[in-house]
Amino acid sequence: MYHFDWAVFWKYLWPGTALQDPLIRTGLIVTVVVSVVAQLVGVILGLFAALGKMSKIGPLRVIAEAYIWYFRGTPLLVQMMLLFFGLGVTHIYNFPDLHIGAIVISGAIQAGTMALAINEGAYMAEIVRSGIEAIDPGQLEAAKSLGMTYGQAMRRIILPQAAKVIIPPLGNEFNNMMKTTSIMEVISAAELFFAFTQVNARLFKPFELFIAASFYYLALTTIWSVIQSWIESSLGERKSVQRAPGFFQRVFTFKGAH
Amino acid sequence: MATLIAPPAADLDSNVIVKFEHVNKYYGTVHVLNDICLEVRKNEVLVIIGPSGSGKSTLLRSINHLEKINSGHIYVNGRMIGYYERNGRLYEESEKNIAQQRAAIGMVFQRFNLFPHLTAMENIIEAPMRVLKLSRENAEAEADRLLKRVGLADKSRNYPGQLSGGQQQRIAIARALAMKPSLMLFDEPTSALDPEMIGEVLDVMKELAQEMTMIVVSHEMGFARAAADRMIFVDDGRIIENSTPEELYTHPQEARTREFLSKILH
Repeated sequence: MYHFDWAVFWKYLWPGTALQDPLIRTGLIVTVVVSVVAQLVGVILGLFAALGKMSKIGPLRVIAEAYIWYFRGTPLLVQMMLLFFGLGVTHIYNFPDLHIGAIVISGAIQAGTMALAINEGAYMAEIVRSGIEAIDPGQLEAAKSLGMTYGQAMRRIILPQAAKVIIPPLGNEFNNMMKTTSIMEVISAAELFFAFTQVNARLFKPFELFIAASFYYLALTTIWSVIQSWIESSLGERKSVQRAPGFFQRVFTFKGAH
Repeated sequence: MATLIAPPAADLDSNVIVKFEHVNKYYGTVHVLNDICLEVRKNEVLVIIGPSGSGKSTLLRSINHLEKINSGHIYVNGRMIGYYERNGRLYEESEKNIAQQRAAIGMVFQRFNLFPHLTAMENIIEAPMRVLKLSRENAEAEADRLLKRVGLADKSRNYPGQLSGGQQQRIAIARALAMKPSLMLFDEPTSALDPEMIGEVLDVMKELAQEMTMIVVSHEMGFARAAADRMIFVDDGRIIENSTPEELYTHPQEARTREFLSKILH
């Protein structure tokens, strides 16, 4: 019979003791920061890809469509390996460590974040596009009839309205993003999952340690659910938009991931 | 010269605000605008009627280039709209130039198309500030004046969703007027309204008709009789009849006009 090591389990489950391990502490910070940065960059890339895909200019449309096609059509794992090892081995680009004051951002973290962001951009492109297309075309016509250029109409009229449509799925994307950062383990980026695998290599307690690891991801996504519900209900207040799902509904309802 | 954008001034009487010269447009094989020739003079109020799908809205929307045309010329204030001509061929103007041309042409839509995320005041001052580069104070002062004029001085802080259809359409008229247009286009401005709200919008339009050049697509006979100088009946992409409202309603010359009028005047 398996002897469950309660001592290891509690040590790595309880933040007070787990976070004393610099591996876990750094891992948690890296996971959160990488998630936020990759999501933000992904939203910006997605916005440009969406506008590109809807553009009247043929080449822009082709570039945007090729980008979305490739990054949604291939596994993130493959993209990340290609970006980090592929570019490195060919000497096209080696990600050097970045020193900012006392903080070192490893090449693996940079490459991993970039891969996550670029991949996310392709998914965000579709979300942004459907958000823009949900806006009545009369809005763009009204803006144009007032002498606004396409850019002005987008920034001032269309995107602020599309944001209401985009934000709920964007929140779900960020929930996925925090879990997907664990893929960076394959390029040895020191995020949370990598930290637990390192501890496991030392102690060989995979059952105890990966239950503890799940707890940390669950904590992150649950905290985010609360923030998301709060954002959505404050957005919905002024308009008679359908009310955002509540906290319990959000936490305990299954939603398919990509 | 290849650089000619506007036609020689001698071609046009300066009192002609809008001029269509043999304008054609096709949707696939459908000839939606068929050799349209038309002049609208300064301070004239023109009402366009016609069955649905006749091309009357397309005609109106081509004046500010919301619809492209396939051949012919449309001039507003002596300047060709949406295109420039080089060696006898039409090329579409740059987006910036088209935006500039549209800024001088006010448009009011059937479905109001107010910006729902902005208050009435913000709806009105948005384009004057962004396009005409007016200061906020000047834009707001002008907006206050316009809100008073359309009888909604107390609604400046309301969002469109909090206003009735008639109120929304009056805000939309104020929004278009804030750009100080030389011409106002109305695309069925009362057909999305509940009957009891039609009057308040028509009253604003009638008052406006005293001093503005207006082209109005509308079947409101009361408005046409009270405010229009001229009326055209459009069918199958052609101008079938062009006369005064009185003439057109009481002595229509064409059989198709009579047939159409008998359907709408019951």
